[in-house]
Amino acid sequence: MSTRLEIAPRIAPSGTTSPAARRPFPWFKYLAVAPLAVVFGGLVAYPVGLLVWMAFGRVRLVAGEFRWESVGLDNFARMLDDETFLISLKNSAVFITATVVLTLVLGIVLALATDGLVRGRQIAQNVVIWPAIVAPVVISVVWLLILSPQIGLLNRVLVSLGADPQAWLGDNLGAMASIIVVDVWHWTPIVFLFVYTALRGIDPSVLEAASVDGAGYLRKVRHVVLPLLAPAIAGAAAIRLIMGVKAFDEMYLLTFGGPGTATTVITIYLRSVFFDAFEYGYGAALSITVVGLVLGVLILSFVVRSLIRRTTRGY
Amino acid sequence: MATEQPTHGRTTGRWIAGVILGGAAVATIVPLVWMIMIAFQSPRAIIAPDWEFDFSLDNFAEIFDTDAVFGTQVVNSLVLVLAATALTLVISAFASYSLSQLHWSRRTVLVVLTLAGLLQVIPPMTLVPGLYVTLLNYDLVGTLGGLILLNTVFNLPFAVIMTKFYFDTIPGELRESASIDGAGELRVFRAVMLPLAAPGIAAVAIFTAIQVWNEFLFGLVFTAGGREAPITVGIAALIQPQEIKFGAMAAVGVVTAVPIVLLAVVANRQIVAGLTRGAVKG
Repeated sequence: MSTRLEIAPRIAPSGTTSPAARRPFPWFKYLAVAPLAVVFGGLVAYPVGLLVWMAFGRVRLVAGEFRWESVGLDNFARMLDDETFLISLKNSAVFITATVVLTLVLGIVLALATDGLVRGRQIAQNVVIWPAIVAPVVISVVWLLILSPQIGLLNRVLVSLGADPQAWLGDNLGAMASIIVVDVWHWTPIVFLFVYTALRGIDPSVLEAASVDGAGYLRKVRHVVLPLLAPAIAGAAAIRLIMGVKAFDEMYLLTFGGPGTATTVITIYLRSVFFDAFEYGYGAALSITVVGLVLGVLILSFVVRSLIRRTTRGY
Repeated sequence: MATEQPTHGRTTGRWIAGVILGGAAVATIVPLVWMIMIAFQSPRAIIAPDWEFDFSLDNFAEIFDTDAVFGTQVVNSLVLVLAATALTLVISAFASYSLSQLHWSRRTVLVVLTLAGLLQVIPPMTLVPGLYVTLLNYDLVGTLGGLILLNTVFNLPFAVIMTKFYFDTIPGELRESASIDGAGELRVFRAVMLPLAAPGIAAVAIFTAIQVWNEFLFGLVFTAGGREAPITVGIAALIQPQEIKFGAMAAVGVVTAVPIVLLAVVANRQIVAGLTRGAVKG
């Protein structure tokens, strides 16, 4: 069909019609994006519409059908008194802050160290990314086998060294620290890759000039390398922030949000509202609020970044 | 960034770099090796308090027992990976080619890319309530078909953005000259453009396949966890607070992780591109 359409302009009588009218309708252009539009319409736009609709109602599943009755803004008002929701926000904030900062620092250090290698860069890059591509579920298994009070590697080592075994995941602080460590182990490779790729892209002559000036290594890193890496680091930070909000698998499997609510982050709480309490309307309202918060933080950080850039431009 | 230091400073620097990377390598490998060791431990030795290694294949025998569901779940995961990756590639290749080369207005392209980026940012869990009702309406809850569609949708934004950047590097004159030679749009796309974007599409394919293989949330909430669930959900079923089956759990972990690590060794470059490039530019 498209072949015929392409040839059409040549056999069309010339001179009588304007060039625009002679051009055939670009079927291919529209057909090519149609599947994307259909899939996004059916499985993104429609569910998002449902989500918004549910958020303003009390939704019950009666005999396999959803019954909706309007409650106005009640679902949103209820959030303010929902202690578990506020705790989950706090837990998410702690988790995200700790994991973003730690993965950034470790990722940058690893990238600088790999760059300092003469041989074995390829191997280093290969091994370092393993944690990032293994399933989060498997990562949870790996760490359960390390943190388990009965059979875990960590307690075995402690006992062998003559120390007392610890409860790790059974303790409030230990559980949060554990999931932070697991997340850092899991996702430092992402930051490493970002920074390392940017580092390899730096013009060597810039660094040579800094060396000729007699700058020591740490000063060179601080004043020349890090500023050049700033865009990559900012990108990695934004991605890690989003990943922190999305984090679910490890908490679900390692702590199930516990003990108590010690590691109930926002995604864990959303799941329980929807699938344990069957509060569909309230769950939808919570979801919309969380999405709003994420977008708000991202927009805010963009604004702050551009403000900083504007004020430091003269410097 | 080659070090241009005096000789003694350079060797010290190398020492420090070596120690840091050695530590990182140990920290990366030891947990994985420990899981592999537990997987090959006899159930008795796993719970023994002393350091003992008693090689056995009991754990693997247990998970691939005839009435165990893991065999089925591995097959489910493979079907899921193949179908969702294929769908993602076809949809994203056509759409991103059109967006990149077929003269859409800048504003339209920007809107599509922004929406795609937005979907990357939104935690999938927040969409679960809406998706659940949607799948109920389409009669897809608890089916592999539903999971295939969801995995496709949530991998499409990255695939579209990344593939579009690859198509952007192809000069538009190429399409025009091929068209003038009489080739139809579909032929130009298939015979000229697709091969040129192949490296990008390969990276997207490998990256998407890994994402789908690793996916857990949708499998968890949209299946009952039995014979229609993917392998990741099967592992979760072994982690019961009352009685954790450590040996079986480690064995399934090994079965799930090994193909991915092998892939990382073979296709390192594509994976690195997938992990960094699309995200940086997107």
